Amino acid sequence: MKIQVVRNVLEANDRLAGEIRKRNAKSGILLLNIMSSPGSGKTSLLEKLIPLLQEDGLRIGVIEGDITTMCDAERIAKLDIPVSQINTEPFGGDCHLGSEVIMPALDHFDPKETDLIFIENVGNLVCPAEFDTGANANIVVISTTEGEDKPLKYPLMFRTCRLAVINKVDLLPHLDFNIDELEQNIRRIQPHMDIFRVSARTGEGIAAVRDWVEKMHIKA
Amino acid sequence: MHELTIAQNIVNIVQEEIARQNLLGKVKLIRFKAGKMNAIIPESLQFGFAATTKDSAAMRDAVLEIEEIPLKVRCGSCRREEIIDEPQFICSQCGSGDLEILSGKEMFVDNFEIE
Repeated sequence: MKIQVVRNVLEANDRLAGEIRKRNAKSGILLLNIMSSPGSGKTSLLEKLIPLLQEDGLRIGVIEGDITTMCDAERIAKLDIPVSQINTEPFGGDCHLGSEVIMPALDHFDPKETDLIFIENVGNLVCPAEFDTGANANIVVISTTEGEDKPLKYPLMFRTCRLAVINKVDLLPHLDFNIDELEQNIRRIQPHMDIFRVSARTGEGIAAVRDWVEKMHIKA
Repeated sequence: MHELTIAQNIVNIVQEEIARQNLLGKVKLIRFKAGKMNAIIPESLQFGFAATTKDSAAMRDAVLEIEEIPLKVRCGSCRREEIIDEPQFICSQCGSGDLEILSGKEMFVDNFEIE
């Protein structure tokens, strides 16, 4: 006997992601998911970007995802904003954040006092791209020490993102890195990607990222 | 990646349908379809499926059939439709990057056969 099913295998995550988007739309909150390899500069980017957004009156919250430790949350907490740290498991847990941990993390933020929440996802260029977090847009950070071919090696990550932030441009004089080639490879995978070149260390280029975020916030 | 989780989700879906429709008997075949963008590794999925079903009398002899749905795109500029084998989203006819994905992102249990 043949039983027709036609059910999406990731339906639970996708359904919850849709509910997250509905909930945030009702509260007027923009949710952005930042992903990258470990050490590309997600936390450093947030440390420079958030004060610029705050200067323009935006009220920010951060959901920190790590397998273990509170290190990133402690850095972000110094900016005097609400932070929710998700540890997937102290002894080596999940390699990504799914909707099932994002939804309860939203309870940490007062919707009347929050305009924008960043998810800083687990450092990993593979898995986070596969799981819809309920964010309104995905951002990938890639640094000048990582290799021009990374977009070709990790196509799903780059395909699912709207913004690519190329970090550590201050190191270019010390590297044999072809930044134009990196941009070309990004565009082969995601022709519609917005791309900015920044240094989270010096602050160069961060203002352009702020403008992009603020445009997203107005559109939402 | 995450073929074990996907295998568990496949088994959960089939078990839910069996419970919902009050079916008895052993599952013989499950037809699973995954778009190319999901990059499912069939050997890993079969391994995860075997591990997940080995303790279930109803499921342990079920065969998991994995069908890959090709990545089909349509160019927004020249309207050409084509199947792409590599994740490079540029129209082979006109070079535009304005490609709409028509199929290749899905991942679902299509149907199953039960005694």
